[in-house]
Amino acid sequence: MATAHSGALTDRKEVLLLLLGFAALVAVGGSSIWLAQRNAAFSDQIAQTLEFRAEVRRMLVLAQNAETGQRGYLLTDDVAYLAPYDAALADRSKRTERVLALAGPSEGVQRERADALLKAVAAKLEELAETVALQRQGRRDEALALVKTDRGREAMIAVRRIADEMVAHEDAQFAERSAASDLSARWQLAVVLLGLLLAAGLAYGAQLLVRRQAREIKAAQAELKAANEGLEAAVAERTSELVSANQEIQRFAYIVSHDLRAPLVNVMGFTSELDAARKELKEQFDAIAEGAPELLRPEARLAVEEDLPEAIGFIRTSTSKMDRLINAILKLSREGRRVVTPETISIADMVTAIASTMHQQTAAANAEIVAAAGLPVLVSDRLAIEQIMQNLIENAVKYLDRSRPGRIVVSGRRRGAFVDFSIEDNGRGIDAKDHERVFELFRRAGAQDQPGEGLGLAFVRATVRRLGGSIRLDSEPGRGSTFHLTFPAVYRPQSESQAA
Amino acid sequence: MNTQRPVTIVMIEDDGGHARLIEKNVRRAGVNNEIRHFADGTSALAFLQSQEAAANGPMLILLDLNLPDMTGIDILTVLKAHERLKRAPVIVLTTTDDKVEIQRCYDLGCNVYITKPVDYETFATAIRQLGLFLSVMQVPDA
Repeated sequence: MATAHSGALTDRKEVLLLLLGFAALVAVGGSSIWLAQRNAAFSDQIAQTLEFRAEVRRMLVLAQNAETGQRGYLLTDDVAYLAPYDAALADRSKRTERVLALAGPSEGVQRERADALLKAVAAKLEELAETVALQRQGRRDEALALVKTDRGREAMIAVRRIADEMVAHEDAQFAERSAASDLSARWQLAVVLLGLLLAAGLAYGAQLLVRRQAREIKAAQAELKAANEGLEAAVAERTSELVSANQEIQRFAYIVSHDLRAPLVNVMGFTSELDAARKELKEQFDAIAEGAPELLRPEARLAVEEDLPEAIGFIRTSTSKMDRLINAILKLSREGRRVVTPETISIADMVTAIASTMHQQTAAANAEIVAAAGLPVLVSDRLAIEQIMQNLIENAVKYLDRSRPGRIVVSGRRRGAFVDFSIEDNGRGIDAKDHERVFELFRRAGAQDQPGEGLGLAFVRATVRRLGGSIRLDSEPGRGSTFHLTFPAVYRPQSESQAA
Repeated sequence: MNTQRPVTIVMIEDDGGHARLIEKNVRRAGVNNEIRHFADGTSALAFLQSQEAAANGPMLILLDLNLPDMTGIDILTVLKAHERLKRAPVIVLTTTDDKVEIQRCYDLGCNVYITKPVDYETFATAIRQLGLFLSVMQVPDA
């Protein structure tokens, strides 16, 4: 029980480990994807930041270029010096558009600054345009006076200041975003490392578990093997005990029956001597009866003519019965000592042969003996099997019900390593209380109207067991009996032969 | 018995009744030789190996296998190994009808093996026939 419980626990642990491992992998994968996406977003933002910064600088450069062109023109009054101013004016709308596009949402700080920057640039360019226009009309003094108002200088200062602010803001943002990007890259590394560590740990744990399980299985197998071996040893021991006990019984039966015979010879012998003596006396008695009958007493006549013959007769019947019983025990014990010689036996042929030897009895009893189709063969002792079949079939014929035609069917089939036979009759049957008794030595059942000593079935059972088989009886009085036999399909000696 | 010296029949039989019945039936066959009865193996061997037996002339031994102190097989072994006694005919007369035992007795040198019939009429007949047999058989001088 304990082992089974811990086994279930181990199973649950395994499942848990697997789930944890899977979860770790999913977490690592998911976080990697998320971080990669975030990194991509960061990169975009950084690129935008850089571009915006560049645009702001260009706008500043544009204002400076315009101013440079105006100063050159005012100094030299040569239109050729106006080239940077013209180029700046030409570029102005495109640059304005880019700055506005990159300035972000209309409510943002950078947007407000962008508007301010554009406004400052516009103010500067307006001042420049006025001075350039005055110069062209030849009113150089008025143009210089306008420059000296510092209107243009202040506008230019504003442009510089706002542009610097914006660049500074973008730089700060750039630094911030780079830092965030670095952090998230580190996070990714950490998560991946953690996931790998976790997976490695789980793999190690799982391996430990598997090893422990393998060890447990190995131990269980060893235990099972040991138990099996123990069991086999126990069975072998038990079998050898049974075999030796059986041998002892056989020897005992043999010795007892032998030793009983010796006094029986005396009883029978001296009974005959007694009978011979009685005959002598009788002759003498008869001679006296003829010559001098008055000498004889009637009691003496009764003793010689009736009592003595009667007593001797009873002694003789009893001793001859005892002799038969002793012979029966001897036969049983001798059969038990006989060496079994297994050979292949066709039961169908055997039953047919037995049926033909019993033809006279079956004809007299209006009966038939049928060997059913499909009777299997078996490898066993021919003589013993023949005696078993003969006894059972003879019994069936002997105890048929005379009021109906007799039918005795021998059938059988193979069942794995065993063969089953049944000898079924429609005879007078055996009462349930006698089902065990009929197999006992000298015991008989039912009406004692047939000759017999009560040996047959005892002999059959002893022989069946000796061949490693078993016998069972199904019967109902008035309906018939079925004897079920089971033998190993191939006889296997239970131990070394004890014949000696 | 055609020999000059009468043959002594040595009967080794533990059952007094059997001994008596054997003797009666042997006598009924007209055998009048001396019959020496021993009820156990020890006293029988003591007699057979004694000077008295040696001086007593030829012997024929009737042997039962089931004895209280030793088996007839033991006695048979001793007899057949004995310088003088080995020629004495041995008739095993016993209740044992085990094939292995019979074989063993003949192997050891027993001359005749007879199983005592349990049925008395047969027994009596067998012993009487044995008596007739004894009356015609030649026994070597001891």
